[in-house]
Amino acid sequence: MIRTQEYNLNFGPQHPSTHGVFRLLLTLDGERVVKAEPICGYLHRGIEKLAESRTYTQIIPYTDRMDYLAAMLQNWGYVMAVEKLMGVEVPEKAEYMRVISGELSRLASHLIAIGTYSLDIGAFTGFLLAFRERETTMDLLEELTGSRMTLSFARIGGVAADAPEGWLDKVDKFMDKLPDCIDEYDGLITGNEIFQARTRDVGVLKPETAINYSISGPTLRGSGVDYDLRKAKPYGIYDRFDFEVPLGKNGDCFDRFDCRMREMRQIIRIVKQAIEQIKEIDGPVIAKVPKVLKPPKGDAYEEIETSKGIIGYYVVSDGSTKPYRVHVRRPSFINLGYLDEMLRGYLVADVVAILGSIDIMLGEVDC
Amino acid sequence: MFGKGLVKGMQITWKEFWAPKATIQYPEHQNPIPDRFHGRFVLDLNNCIACGMCANACPNKVISLRKQKVGTKQFLTNYVMNIQYCMFCGLCVESCPKDALHFSKVINMNQYFYNNIPLVLVQREAPAEPVEKEKPAAKPTSQPKADKSAPTAKSEVAASKASDKEGE
Amino acid sequence: MFENLFVGIADGLRSLLGGLPLEINEAIVMLVKLVAILVFILVNALWLVYMERKVAGYMQARIGPNRVGPKGLLQTSADIGKLICKEIIIHKDTDKVVFMLAPVLVFVPTLMVFAVIPFGKNMAAIDMNIGLLYLLAIASLSTVIFWMAGWASNNKYSLLGSMRSVAQMVSYELPMVLAILGVIMITGSLKMSDIIAAQEHTWFIFTQPIAFLIFFIASVSECNRAPFDLIEAESELVNGFNTEYSGMAFAMFYLAEYANMLVCCAMVTILFLGGWLAPFGLDFIPSWLWFFIKMYVVMFVIMQLRWTYPRIRVDQLMGFGWKVLVPLSLANIFVTGIGMYIYRAIGW
Repeated sequence: MIRTQEYNLNFGPQHPSTHGVFRLLLTLDGERVVKAEPICGYLHRGIEKLAESRTYTQIIPYTDRMDYLAAMLQNWGYVMAVEKLMGVEVPEKAEYMRVISGELSRLASHLIAIGTYSLDIGAFTGFLLAFRERETTMDLLEELTGSRMTLSFARIGGVAADAPEGWLDKVDKFMDKLPDCIDEYDGLITGNEIFQARTRDVGVLKPETAINYSISGPTLRGSGVDYDLRKAKPYGIYDRFDFEVPLGKNGDCFDRFDCRMREMRQIIRIVKQAIEQIKEIDGPVIAKVPKVLKPPKGDAYEEIETSKGIIGYYVVSDGSTKPYRVHVRRPSFINLGYLDEMLRGYLVADVVAILGSIDIMLGEVDC
Repeated sequence: MFGKGLVKGMQITWKEFWAPKATIQYPEHQNPIPDRFHGRFVLDLNNCIACGMCANACPNKVISLRKQKVGTKQFLTNYVMNIQYCMFCGLCVESCPKDALHFSKVINMNQYFYNNIPLVLVQREAPAEPVEKEKPAAKPTSQPKADKSAPTAKSEVAASKASDKEGE
Repeated sequence: MFENLFVGIADGLRSLLGGLPLEINEAIVMLVKLVAILVFILVNALWLVYMERKVAGYMQARIGPNRVGPKGLLQTSADIGKLICKEIIIHKDTDKVVFMLAPVLVFVPTLMVFAVIPFGKNMAAIDMNIGLLYLLAIASLSTVIFWMAGWASNNKYSLLGSMRSVAQMVSYELPMVLAILGVIMITGSLKMSDIIAAQEHTWFIFTQPIAFLIFFIASVSECNRAPFDLIEAESELVNGFNTEYSGMAFAMFYLAEYANMLVCCAMVTILFLGGWLAPFGLDFIPSWLWFFIKMYVVMFVIMQLRWTYPRIRVDQLMGFGWKVLVPLSLANIFVTGIGMYIYRAIGW
């Protein structure tokens, strides 16, 4: 056998498929990965530190900048932690608004995830067709909040505003249209034999390993572990909705992708139910909270299920107007923990497939 | 059967080839901008009481305002937003007790020179003290300076009760 | 009248130069033919880049280039103009001679191949009796140029891309040639005009469907188009072998890709779609136009493939080539042989 030499390949930070500025130092033997060292921090802005010099309300726009594809879910997690700290009761209508805007955010994030994944595998059309529906989602969110991506919609004690006139009907109409679009992606991407050949049995993540590495979100559920916070520990009003948690079987790239695909259909169910229920509710969308927030001394941890996994906000208060410490458990960062072992033995082309299937968001990884 | 998905994919792209396109040709056509859109800021000087709550609400310290005491009330002489640091989160607009600060639908805020980036909403000289004393007489002429006097009286009350206003 | 438009022009030129000795006369006519082919290729490459972008746009719910010129027709020319103005960056670790030679040479194999392709009745520049062999031999030369570009760039991504290019050529040239053997067995000639003449009654796509499929797949792979665009693979290898190229050097590779596609489509048309023969007796459309129409139909299918399918992985590519296409093409030869034997034995 001929002895071959291994070499290093800098995969990123300026590489088209690292979904941002992520760097992987690959040790390759030919095209096969021997070792992979993920290096992150290129997008570090020190949001946790910034939060210490901002008031409780002022932190909300910064949480947008973590997972900017599903900004509402990030706002929501933070706001819930502060509400727990202060013991604020959120009005029912605000909870429904959070669910609708949050699920729309999740939909936008999943559409990006499946779109960019098909781009990673090499099919460009799936990417742009997914963007077409994402554009509609963004338009709806823009109409509700005024921004397209960084929504800053949640407020401590509720949400910023009620739905504008006729907005709920527009969302309902879009939800009616969406299943056809998802069928189209299924036909174009999921059902494609080349796509399946590329993703099946690649980057297998065993359920035990996934739990041990504290992996969450569709990456965990792709391995067949039934753990979705919306079902397992329903926060907000998620116990009022009837939906399923899609699970994978093998824990390979295809299952992770397919989980997101099927989760989008569940989003439609949740939003449709929420719209039906919110129409009967009247009331304020924000609780009575003082203008200057001074939570009592203490700490609070609250976690919710975002599109990437479980995001947890830990807020420590020293009784002043600014938090003493804010820590964020970022799902994208933790999901990357197993990357090295997941990549070993696969080809360069699989590196892209595996990295894409975890669906990281660099704003969140580097925080 | 192997190949079914391949044929399906070709059918979908063929169908898309003839389907209507989603593109909007921008300068000629434009998406309608929703009412809540976070565009360029507008300050309604008639309502502004120069309380500075917007500047306090801003997470990035974008807003800098200078005021001068003219007679008994505050007079806003300078209101500049360093728009390059603005996140367009809308917390300033929300915090305004008098609804003086608004978003407009203007999306084009590009500037060619760096010095032009800050958004100068107000820049004016404060009226000299003697003029201010004469003002009650000049009030009906409705000059911008004169208009300031009306809301100022209630400003203190409004600022203290502002806690109810959060979240509109 | 249009039927013999180009042949007529050639004849006219010949008689115009009638006073000159025969050799010089022929040489000038040949030169004019080759220049015409050169212009044909370049104009087509420009048009194909535009067409590709338009087709891609239409399949992706957008409209593609539409600003420069009427319907965006001048977009490619504008792009080329921009690229000419740009600096060609040669970084310090490159093998400078080879690095610059590769984009210069990249058009050569394509141009050489076009010399034998019959664009219509009596419209091949040279109708060689080993035309097909020549075509196959020259067409695979482009791999050497990709290899040169990737190797000289001194970039790991480029190197991986060019290694893939060589591996891909080796494993796909074989089924391609074996697939053509079926056609050659029936015609008994390597001459292009003979092959087309043999399809007078039925095109080979009907008599040799498996050979057509293998040849089509292999030729898509030969011109490095999706789903076999492994040597570029922008999501894996940044841009494969031409990662380090900029400016006009990059544009040369880019245009050469489309020129190669033109060759592939022309080959498919000649070998399986009856070349310039008019189907259903629609003779009033000139033969060269028929050739053109058929070529562009194939072109559209190739473009649609690119914008529909994901990229295949490198080991799957090899596996597919050696484990599926080669045995299949051998089986095809076997079946064709038996068929021909029976055909002769029955004596239809």
